[in-house]
Amino acid sequence: MKVYRSHLMICGGTGCHASGSIAVKEALEKELEKQNLTEEIKIVETGCNGFCAMGPIMVVQPDGVMYVLIKPEDVEELVTEHLVKGRVLKRLIYKEPITKEEIPTMQEIPFFANQELRVLRNRGLIDPEKIDEYIARDGYLGMGKALTDMTPEEIVSEVKKSGLRGRGGAGFPTGTKWDFASRSQSDVKYVLCNADEGDPGAFMDRSVLEADPHAVIEGMVIAARAIGSHHGYIYCRAEYPLAISRMNIAIDQAREYGLLGKDILGTGFDFDLEIYQGAGAFVCGEETALMRSIEGHRGMPRPRPPFPASQGLWEKPTILNNVETFANIGQIILRGGDWYASIGTEGSKGTKVFALTGDVNNIGLVEVPMGTSIGTIIYDIGGGIQDGKKYKAAQLGGPSGGCIPAQHLNTPTDYEAIAKVGAIMGSGGLIVMDEESCMVDVARFFMDFCQDESCGKCVPCREGTKRMLEILTNITEGKGKDGDIELLEEMAANIKDASLCGLGQTAPNPVLSTIRYFRDEYEAHIYDKKCPSAVCSALFASPCQHMCPIEMDVPKYIALIKADRLDDAYKILLKTNPFPSVCGRVCNQACTSRCRRGQTDEPIAIAALKRYITDNGRRLVIKKVPHDRKEKIAVIGAGPAGLTAALDLTKRGYAVTVYEELPEAGGMLRYGIPAYRLPRETLKEEIDHIIAHGIDLKLNTRIGKDISFEQLKKDYDIVFMAVGAHKSYSLGVEGEDLKGVYGGVEFLRDVNLGKKVDIGKKVAVIGGGNSAVDAARTAVRLGASDVTIYYRRLREDMPAQEEEIDAALAEGVKLELFTAPGKLTGKSGRVEKMEVIRMKAGDFDSSGRKRPVPQEGGNFSVDMDTVIYAIGQQPDISFLPKDRGDIEVARGDTFKTTGRFKTRMKAEGFFAGGDALSGAAFVVTAIDAGHKAAGEIDDYIRTKNNEPAWQAPEMEKIDIPTDIDEDVIETPRFAKEHLKITDFVGNFEEVDKGLSKKNAKLEANRCLRCDLSDID
Amino acid sequence: MKTITLNIDGRQVQGASGQTIYEVARENDIHIPVLCYHPAAKPAGACRVCVVEVAGARSLVASCAQPITEDMVVNTKSDRVIAARRLATELLLSSGNHNCLVCEANGQCLLQELAYELGIEQPRFSVSPPGYGIEEENPMIIRDMDRCIVCGRCVRACNEVQVNRVLDFSYRGKHATVGPAFGTTYEDSECVFCGECVSVCPVGALTEKQGRFKGRNWEVKKVRTTCSYCGVGCQIELNVKDNKVVKVTSDYELGEPNHGSLCVKGRFGHDFIHHPERLTKPLIRKDGKFWEVSWEEALDYTAKRLKEIRDKNGSDSIGVFTSARCTNEDNYVLQKFTRAVIGTNNVDHCARL
Repeated sequence: MKVYRSHLMICGGTGCHASGSIAVKEALEKELEKQNLTEEIKIVETGCNGFCAMGPIMVVQPDGVMYVLIKPEDVEELVTEHLVKGRVLKRLIYKEPITKEEIPTMQEIPFFANQELRVLRNRGLIDPEKIDEYIARDGYLGMGKALTDMTPEEIVSEVKKSGLRGRGGAGFPTGTKWDFASRSQSDVKYVLCNADEGDPGAFMDRSVLEADPHAVIEGMVIAARAIGSHHGYIYCRAEYPLAISRMNIAIDQAREYGLLGKDILGTGFDFDLEIYQGAGAFVCGEETALMRSIEGHRGMPRPRPPFPASQGLWEKPTILNNVETFANIGQIILRGGDWYASIGTEGSKGTKVFALTGDVNNIGLVEVPMGTSIGTIIYDIGGGIQDGKKYKAAQLGGPSGGCIPAQHLNTPTDYEAIAKVGAIMGSGGLIVMDEESCMVDVARFFMDFCQDESCGKCVPCREGTKRMLEILTNITEGKGKDGDIELLEEMAANIKDASLCGLGQTAPNPVLSTIRYFRDEYEAHIYDKKCPSAVCSALFASPCQHMCPIEMDVPKYIALIKADRLDDAYKILLKTNPFPSVCGRVCNQACTSRCRRGQTDEPIAIAALKRYITDNGRRLVIKKVPHDRKEKIAVIGAGPAGLTAALDLTKRGYAVTVYEELPEAGGMLRYGIPAYRLPRETLKEEIDHIIAHGIDLKLNTRIGKDISFEQLKKDYDIVFMAVGAHKSYSLGVEGEDLKGVYGGVEFLRDVNLGKKVDIGKKVAVIGGGNSAVDAARTAVRLGASDVTIYYRRLREDMPAQEEEIDAALAEGVKLELFTAPGKLTGKSGRVEKMEVIRMKAGDFDSSGRKRPVPQEGGNFSVDMDTVIYAIGQQPDISFLPKDRGDIEVARGDTFKTTGRFKTRMKAEGFFAGGDALSGAAFVVTAIDAGHKAAGEIDDYIRTKNNEPAWQAPEMEKIDIPTDIDEDVIETPRFAKEHLKITDFVGNFEEVDKGLSKKNAKLEANRCLRCDLSDID
Repeated sequence: MKTITLNIDGRQVQGASGQTIYEVARENDIHIPVLCYHPAAKPAGACRVCVVEVAGARSLVASCAQPITEDMVVNTKSDRVIAARRLATELLLSSGNHNCLVCEANGQCLLQELAYELGIEQPRFSVSPPGYGIEEENPMIIRDMDRCIVCGRCVRACNEVQVNRVLDFSYRGKHATVGPAFGTTYEDSECVFCGECVSVCPVGALTEKQGRFKGRNWEVKKVRTTCSYCGVGCQIELNVKDNKVVKVTSDYELGEPNHGSLCVKGRFGHDFIHHPERLTKPLIRKDGKFWEVSWEEALDYTAKRLKEIRDKNGSDSIGVFTSARCTNEDNYVLQKFTRAVIGTNNVDHCARL
C-alpha cells in the first residue's frame, strides 16, 4: 500500500456537494498536480462529515486541521500555505460564532468534541465507495461473528440485551421484533430497510447511507441470519441519488467479496438484497404502506393485525428496520449487547443521531449518548441560537412530533421522557426555532405537510387534517374565532385516536404541543388579531407597526421625515402615543426587532427618528375637552399608564381625576429613569400637554392616607389603579438591612427626589436589567469612583438594552459576570464588605437560559461603601384596605384581571394596568395598558347604560408620500450625536443628542416601506 | 374452528377464530355502523366509523378489521367511540355535495343513515364539495364524484371481486379520489361496465343512469328473479314501479351463484322489457312482409312446415337451437320435442350470451 504524507479528507456528502465540494476537489487535484504533490498527498472523498452548514469541508490528516466554507479560488493558497509551508491557513478555519475564537482542529471544535460516535464512527474517515476501508475499520467483523459463531437465537438475544430500540421513531425494541419474525414459520421471509426518510429537516439516514453504506448491509445480513431470511430490500427515496449510487456500489462490492449473495463467507448462508426506489410519498415510511409500495401498488397502509412479523411483504414474515438501527447492529454483535447498553438511560440505550437544523449556529449531524439533554445538543454542540437571538422551541420528530419549549431544555433524549413533554424522538430531526418564529404558523406548516401527504385512505386523516389546516390558516390570516382552539384540541384528540396509521395518529401532535406551550400566541391571533412574532403577514402591513404594542404608524412618520413634513409627522405620533418624546428616548423598541431592513444590514433607528420628530415638530395648541358625561373616574398613579388612560377618557368626555403620591407626575419616567436619559423639561412638556386636556391632577395625595379608599369608591364610578411597580425585590441575603444597602428603585427615587444620597466611592450594583444600569450610571454621576455591576449570568443574558450597557462601560462602570452577592457585613450598621459567590452555568432554567449555580471555591469578598440591588421590582399595594373584597392580587403583588379583559377586574368598577398589572415592563406597554383601560372602561359604562359603542371621531387626513428608494445600497445606521463628558460628577445632562437633520433624512431613506407591499 | 368468547357492550358473546369484531357483533344483533366495509371484499379499515374501544388498546380499533381474541372486552358505544364516529361523519358530510333531495341514494345511503343515527343536522365545518362535476357520458353509469366519500368500496369491488383492475385511488390528501388511471372517464378506460362499483357504492356517487329519477328506493317493489341472459343463473331483483321495471339490482345477501355481482347485460340490459319495438304477438311473413297473426295460426303454420320438411328431407334435415334466456323447463321440453317428435339429435343451446 502506498504511503502518503498527508490525506485531504474532503466531504462528499450531498450537503457539501450542494455547496460546491466537487469543484473544490477538482481544483485540489489540479493544484496538487501543478505543485507536484500528487505522490505525497492523497485526496479522499468521504461521506458526510456532519458539519453540513460549514461545507465544503476538508480535514487535513494526520494534523486534523479542518477547513470550512472552502471555495475553489481558495485552493491555491490553501495548498501553498498548509501543504507546502506547513502553516495553518487561518482565514478558512472554523470560528466559534459567539466567542469568535478560531479553532483549527476538529477535535477541539465544540460541535464535534461533545459527540459520541457509534453509528457515525466512520464519517469523514473512509471513502464510502471502498469496501476495504470499511473492512479496515473492523467492518463485517460483526457479521462474520454472527454467521460463524452464533445461532440465530443468540443473535436475537444479543440484540435484545443491547436494549436497541427502533431508530425510525416509534422506538419498538429491535430484538423483540426480530424474535417475533424468527418464530414465524415460513420458507420465505424478508428483511427490509426503511430509508424513506421524509421528515422536513431530517437527513440522518441519507448521511449514513452516503458515508457508511456497508454498515447498513452488515446489519441487514445479521438480521437475515437471525430471522432466517434470504432476501431483502432497501426502500430508499428516489430523491437520494447519491445514497442510492453509493449503496449500489457497496452492494456490488459486498457481493464480489462474498459478503452478500450465495454462501456468504462460505457458511452456506444465502442473503441478497436490492434497492427499491420510493417515489417520495411520506406515508411510505409507514411499514404496511412501504410493503404495498414494494409490491408494486400505491403505497397505502392497511390495518394491523396481521403484523408484518407474521404477514408482511407479499404476506410473508417480514422485519422492517430503519437505516440507523441497522447501522448499529454490526457493532452490537462485535462488541456485545452489554457494551452497547453501557451508555444511555434506563429505557433508551446507546446513542442517537440527530439532524440539527434551523436557527441554530452549528447546523449538521450530531450523535450523542441517549440521555443527553436537548439543551446540551442545541447549546453545547449546536453553539446556541444564531445572531444572539432567543430560543423559542425545537421541533423534534418532524411533522409527527412536537415542540420542546425553553422550560423543557433539560429533557433528556430518552423515548419516554420526550413523549412526556409532548414530542416524540422520531427519526431525529431537530429543528431549532428562535424567538422570531410564530408557533401558530409552525403548526400550520406541519399540518399543511401532513394533509398534503395523507394517503387519503381514512377519513380522520384525509378530511380531519384538511379541516385542521383550514382552521389554522384562518387563525394565521386573522379569521380565527372564539372556540377554534377548543375545536382544534377536540379534533386532534379524535384524529389521534381514530386514524388508521401512524401518519394520521401523529399528525395533530404539532398542533397539540404548540397549543400546550404557546396557547397565548393562538389567543393573540384569534382575539387580538396579532401575530406576536410578526410572521403572519396577513395580519399587518409592516412588522414594525405590528410589533409596537400601541401600533405606532412607523412607516408613515418615517416617510414624512423624508418629505421634511415634521409637523404632520408629529401629529401621526400623537395619534397613538401621548409620550412620543419619551418613547423616542427610552423605548425597548420591539419595532426594530423585526425590521425587514435588518435582514439586509441593520434595522432602521426607529426610536431615534421618532425623537428627531419630537425635537423638531411643532407642538399643538391644546383646548380643554368639555365633560359631557356624568360618570366620574379616578386614576391612581400619574405614570404613563394612568395618564394615557386619563387622556383617552377625557377625550371621550369623562371627568377624570388623577391621584399621585409624589410631588410630580410621571411615575417611573420621573422617579425611575435618570435625567441624563430623559430630561425633566422634555417629560414635563409632554405631561403638561396631556393635563391641558382638562384632567384634574392631584399631586402629593396618597390613597389610604390623604383620602381613604372607601371615600374614593364612594366618590367615583370607576377606579383605575395604575400604581406602577415601585418596590424593589428583596435580595434575601444576610446584612440586607445595613445602611448603605439600597433597592434600585428606592435609590433612583431618592436621587430623583433631590434627596442627598451618600454613596461613598465603591459601589456594587446587583442585577442586569435597565434599572441596574441606571443605578450604576447614576452612581458614577453621584461621584462614586469604582462602580461594578454584578450579574449572575452571561452578558448576552442581561435584560438591559445593549446600548445602555455599552454606555455604562464607556463611563467606567465595570461588569462582573457570573457572580451573585453573598453575605453583607459592616461596622456600626453600615455596609463595608460584600461576599461574592462565583457562579457557573448549570442546567437550563424555565426561561431557556443556563441556570447560574455556585462554583465550588470561587468565592471572594470585596470592600463596599454602597450596595444597590436591582433584581426586579413589584407594586407597592399597601394603599389597599385590609379587606380587599373582590380586588384580586396575584403573586408578586400584581393585580389580576377577569376573563379575557386586559384591564377590567373582578371587583365591579375597578380596572388596573401598567406595571401594577404586568410587573415591571416598559413605557410603551404601560401606554398600551392605558389605552386598553380607557377602551374597556368606556365599554363597561356604555354597556351598563345600554348605550351604543363609542365611535372614534374622524381624524385629520394626512397624505403620506409613497416614493421609495428603489436601489437599496447596504448601509448601516446613521450615527446620533453624543454629549462629550469629561467630568461625570453632578452632570445629569442628556447624553444622547439625537440625529442631525442630515442623518435623520438619510436614516429615514433607509426605510424599505414594507407597508406598501400591496401597492404596484 | 376454535370458539372464542368475548365481551361486547357488557354481553358475553361467542365467535369463531378469524372472525372480526364487526362480524361477531352483527351476528349478535349489536349494531355497529359501517361505510367502507363490504362482505365481498377484504376489510380496509378506512372509514373509521366502525371504530370501537377495546380494553387495553392504545387507540380505537376498526371493528371491521380487528380479529376477535379470547376475553376481549369491547365497547361499541363509549363516549370516545361516539366522538370519533361523529367527527368522521361530520367531516364526510362537509366534504362533498351531500344534498339528499334529488339523490338517487336517498333512502339507501349509509352516510344518510349515519347522520340520522348520530343526529347530525349540520356539520360544524363549511360544506365544500371538490367540484368535480358529473360524468354522464356513458349510457349506464353516472359518476358524481362530488358525492364520493372515498371509502374505496368501488376500488375493492373492481380489483378484488371482479378483478377488472380499472379503479384505484389517485392523488393524495384532500385531493385523494377514486377512478380509472390518469383521471379518464369510465368510457375511455378499460372498464367493462359490470356495474359492481355502482352496486357497492354506499352513497350516491355511482348510480344507474337509466333508473335515474324513475323511482325512489321506497317506491319500488323488488321482485326477485333469475337473470335470463345466460345460463349462470344470477339472482337479480327487478325494481318495479307502476308495473314497470326501472332498474335491475342484486345483493350480496341473495347468495349463490353471483353474490350480488352481475355483468353489463344483466345489470344494464333491461331496456328491452318496455321497449316499444318489442314483439308481443306472433308474425308470419307473407309476400315479403310480416303479418300479425293469432297464436293458433302461427302454431299450425309452424307445425305444418316442419312436418313437410321432415317428410321430404328426413329428420336430420332439421336442427333446433334454443336459448339460454329460456327456462330449464322450456329447454327440456324442446329437446324432448326435437328427439321424440322430430326424431333428430340435432339440438343445441347457447349457454352463453
